[in-house]
Amino acid sequence: MAIIEIYDLIMHYLVIIFATNDFAPWIRGVLGGLVIGAVFGGALVMVYLERKFLGDMQSRIGPNRVGGRFGVLQLIADAIKLFTKEDIIPAKADKWLFIGAPIVALTSGFLMVAVIPFDLLVIKGNEYAVAVSRMDISILYLEAVSGLAIFATFMAGWGSSSKYAVLAAFRNVAKMIGYEIPLGITVISVAVMAHSLDIVEIVEAQSSIWFIIAQPLGFVVFFIALLADVGRIPFDQTEAEEELVAGWATEYSGMRWGLAFFAEYLHAVVGSFIVTLIFLGGWNGLPIVGNLYIPGIFWVIAKTIMVMMLFIWIRAALPRYRIDQVIDIGWKVLIPLALLNLVWSTIIGLLWA
Amino acid sequence: MIDLQIIPFAIISIIMIGSSIMVVKSKEVVHSAFHCVIAMMSAAGFYVLLSAQFVAVVQILVYVGAIGVMILFAVMLTTRNQEVE
Repeated sequence: MAIIEIYDLIMHYLVIIFATNDFAPWIRGVLGGLVIGAVFGGALVMVYLERKFLGDMQSRIGPNRVGGRFGVLQLIADAIKLFTKEDIIPAKADKWLFIGAPIVALTSGFLMVAVIPFDLLVIKGNEYAVAVSRMDISILYLEAVSGLAIFATFMAGWGSSSKYAVLAAFRNVAKMIGYEIPLGITVISVAVMAHSLDIVEIVEAQSSIWFIIAQPLGFVVFFIALLADVGRIPFDQTEAEEELVAGWATEYSGMRWGLAFFAEYLHAVVGSFIVTLIFLGGWNGLPIVGNLYIPGIFWVIAKTIMVMMLFIWIRAALPRYRIDQVIDIGWKVLIPLALLNLVWSTIIGLLWA
Repeated sequence: MIDLQIIPFAIISIIMIGSSIMVVKSKEVVHSAFHCVIAMMSAAGFYVLLSAQFVAVVQILVYVGAIGVMILFAVMLTTRNQEVE
């Protein structure tokens, strides 16, 4: 396993640099750049996988022209197309809100990336989390920052002065008010069970039993609420193509549309990371590998790709809900179930401690 | 030598005062709502400067995430200025 030894060596030197220049700003900067690049790449991978697998599931071929038989360079071709297209701002648009919306969407995505840990290295008794920033309250921070994405949709919808975009923004705000609550309650019940708001410690608390087994109801509620939060298909009323053209992004063109589109996939990737970390055990591997040592970062990324595939599968399999049905599910089903799960996890967490 | 913390403090203060003035001065009610959100976020910045991270995050969660969205939800139900027509 030569690759794994090289990985360990690199990580070892990284930790030595960390330990000697404690919190040196440029190290944080380099690590932050790497993580942003990795998540950027992750979002690109997700777009590619989505097009390819959706094609397979719907008996189509998918991208197959640019870059060989599997169309691996299709995304680059699309990016070039988006960069060279004319950037149109509608005459009646509210200019600052219109320009600001993609920026806010991307900012919220990148702020979420900052606290996601990829691995925990223990060297000479000291613990080093492979994350841009390790906070005591990182899960609460994630909740807070992911809420900012609503403003992006609202700014785009209101700023465009288009009836489709405004309708999409209204739907999104109405949906979000309902779905942030079960999302928050399930995250809090995970924190209650792990006795910590720090994601690193939440993952460490899952070393004996994953939280998907300890609180399956919480996982189901969290996953559905997350689907609604990132606007994936059973809950993508905000950009229902058949009803609203392209939803809140209708009036966008060129790279502005590209950024808005990209921010959405960024949120989906970060969402799959959160599912992996707080329910699927993060860097705790499966016992089936035996004595073979596999780096934690491999587990995190493998599980994240599994969750991404689940997103794509759901998109291919399920039809879209009507907006009133979505609001009904949020308030009448998910919130009571989330509260039930909070009670369950409090009791189990107290007994378990 | 002055404390370097004065620089972020000054920047956040200017943003907060400016956006607070814009809440009252701007013609369109949506802009007021967004400036209100910016003012609330800069309050979170002050808490970070005071190294009260938890209060800062809760400020964003409650004031920006909940109350800001509530204000926008209320604004959504008003009519838009028709003078541009």
